[in-house]
Amino acid sequence: MPKVDMDMATGRITSWSVAEGTRVKAGDPLFVIETDKAAMDVDSPADGVVHHIHAEAGTDVPIGQPVAWIYVDGETVGPPPNPSPSGRGWPRERPGERGAAGAPSEQHTSLNTLTPPPLPEAEGLAAPADRPRATPHARRLARERGVDLRLILGSGPRGRIARADVEAYQTPAVTAAPEMAGPLVLHRSGGGPGTPVLLLHGFAADSHVWARVVPLLPCGHAVIKLDLPGHGRSPARSVGSFRDLARLVVAAFDRAGFDRVHVVGHSLGGGLALALADVRARRLASLTLIAPAGLGPEMDGDALFGLARASRAESLAPWLRRLVADPGLVTDGFVHAAMLARADPSLRTAQQALADCLFADGVQCFDLQAALQRVAVPTKLLWGRADRVFPWRQALHAPGRVALHLLDDIGHVPHLEAPDIVAALIADLATLDQARADTKRAA
Amino acid sequence: MSAAAAVAPATASTTPITGAVVRDLSYAEAIREAMAIALERDPRVVLMGEDIGVYGGAFQVTGDLVHRFGPDRVMDTPISELGGAGVAVGAALTGLRPIFEFQFSDFATLAMEQIVNQAAKLRFMLGGAVSVPVVMRFPAGSGTGAAAQHSQSLEAWFGHVPGLKVVQPATPHDAKGLLLAAVHDPDPVMIFEHKLLYKTKGPVPEGHYTVPIGEAAVCRPGRDVTVVASAVMVPRALDAATQLAADGIDAEVIDLRTIRPLDRETLIASVAKTTRLVCVYEGVKTLGVGAEVSALIAESEAFDYLDAPIVRVGGAEVPIPYSPELEKAAVPQTADIAAAVRRVVRGAV
Repeated sequence: MPKVDMDMATGRITSWSVAEGTRVKAGDPLFVIETDKAAMDVDSPADGVVHHIHAEAGTDVPIGQPVAWIYVDGETVGPPPNPSPSGRGWPRERPGERGAAGAPSEQHTSLNTLTPPPLPEAEGLAAPADRPRATPHARRLARERGVDLRLILGSGPRGRIARADVEAYQTPAVTAAPEMAGPLVLHRSGGGPGTPVLLLHGFAADSHVWARVVPLLPCGHAVIKLDLPGHGRSPARSVGSFRDLARLVVAAFDRAGFDRVHVVGHSLGGGLALALADVRARRLASLTLIAPAGLGPEMDGDALFGLARASRAESLAPWLRRLVADPGLVTDGFVHAAMLARADPSLRTAQQALADCLFADGVQCFDLQAALQRVAVPTKLLWGRADRVFPWRQALHAPGRVALHLLDDIGHVPHLEAPDIVAALIADLATLDQARADTKRAA
Repeated sequence: MSAAAAVAPATASTTPITGAVVRDLSYAEAIREAMAIALERDPRVVLMGEDIGVYGGAFQVTGDLVHRFGPDRVMDTPISELGGAGVAVGAALTGLRPIFEFQFSDFATLAMEQIVNQAAKLRFMLGGAVSVPVVMRFPAGSGTGAAAQHSQSLEAWFGHVPGLKVVQPATPHDAKGLLLAAVHDPDPVMIFEHKLLYKTKGPVPEGHYTVPIGEAAVCRPGRDVTVVASAVMVPRALDAATQLAADGIDAEVIDLRTIRPLDRETLIASVAKTTRLVCVYEGVKTLGVGAEVSALIAESEAFDYLDAPIVRVGGAEVPIPYSPELEKAAVPQTADIAAAVRRVVRGAV
């Protein structure tokens, strides 16, 4: 049972497209599973003949549990193997141990399409991908709280997860269920008297990308994270241009009914935030643009198309590492968590279509420089000087009243690489806004 | 002095008598005072060692005791550690309570037969029919420019031997209290006295009291990291903790006081609280006291509370050099301790 959603613990098979003894080719649909979002086909990972279908239609199956076995041509069909009792993301046995355990021979291919080969690490002992590096304290805490360590980004050396990382991860876990705002999905957390903060993620990311910044934001402000179309939990929409995309975001913004809000956008989300500010200026308290799109045609097209296309951790990892200045930050565990979030092939297809439209020929095909000149709310523009996706010099198009923050040794994702700095700059704008409101009230 | 009146009760007070006067004494003076009290209270107590009589001891610890108690109770022994230690073990077997002084702990190598094969074993080999209530005092450690054969920290060797108790006081108060506890103990007790501590001063109550063998002391409570030290590493760890406090790091410093038996409960409770452990010891890092403390924690229920790798700060893997700068570099200094704690607390290890 593949994991196609960050929050998914079990999956329900609604129907089988094959029967016992059906011959399949790699890529043929095997069965349909149902998630919160949609029904989706799961394709065969290999050529062969399907046998031992364990999971009947309509049953819930833990992630990682085999649901059937594919035998290669000529292989003897043995007795039905026991399904793995654990609900882990991928089988724990190593090749060669299977035969000895009485399970099928090595030639079987598990239907789990996510089985990652162990990746070599730069230094030290390799941490198996399903057993991330973590301190005993972090492991105990994760056990107690039922948190999956594979989804946590470790802050320690070589990505080691410590107690504080598990505690920080709890914050998003207690947020309310996602809600539909017109065409798109948004996630609310926290609350209080402060002006809410709206976060717009970048291309090929989703709301989880803000996980390191959200706990550092000042208390008393609700945090709202929007999933862009075909990203995270938002359904794919037909988008023919940047204007179409911006219209969807504005529609979601209107539907969510914000009175006043601080808007933070990254990369493509930064371009969309700028477009939003252009048409809804009165409802924005401030604008924080992190390496925003649309301020020049230059970009690293290979990276964005590579991200959109990547169908497995090995092909995703090099592009994720290009996003940051210190590739060590993108640990194997991080890559696998990111890949789990992109396991849905329809999500990848939607993102590729979006990239073809917005970044045709590896060029940013939309221009927001005029919108930046017109921006009327307090605005900060953040850019890492080691950004390899959009050149930081595009920041120099900003008019004088926009504050520039150029960060040394930071790449394209400052909120991942230096969440403390990003949170502090957003907090500055919130403080400024509060001071102005107080002055106005006093007057 | 009548023997009946002088014998100390079996259950000695562990705290000074209420109202006892507390003065500042040096570590050496506190030990001398403890030996004088033991000599006064118990006629079975005798002191033995090379040059401890009229000369007053290699580090002037026995001082004037020969003049107060006479050469029958403060005995110079010939320059043979094996012979002297053998006489002390034999005297303990036959009813005396000898306190035997080595000039340098390094010379224990010459007396290992008597300590390891005789004193530590006889109670067990004779079915509990005898005990060997001998106390041995070892001036130990580096920092005096005395080079490789006079500067070692060998306490871990003795900590490896069942049948011995090994203590390592860091303050004048504990030096006196542990020595008196050792005199009362029915089994051989090895006391490692750091030579750099002899002149350090601290509050010491008058009169008789003991510090229980096997109890560590939390000498600075803290929240972020447990620093376990002994002997001269305790004041260094405390200095480091003061520096670290300025950086917002709240270190708990534990003075082991006893190497064998280790105070498991205090160590486990502390690490479970702070979630981090740094072991500091002057002995060579490999297979040293800190290695044992680390393993104890890794095996204990505190394991699940560890939020960083355990770090040991121990002596370099070299004989102690003669050059003063190299000698300093060979053993942990305050800056080394502070740096290690910073790395552990900031997640850099």
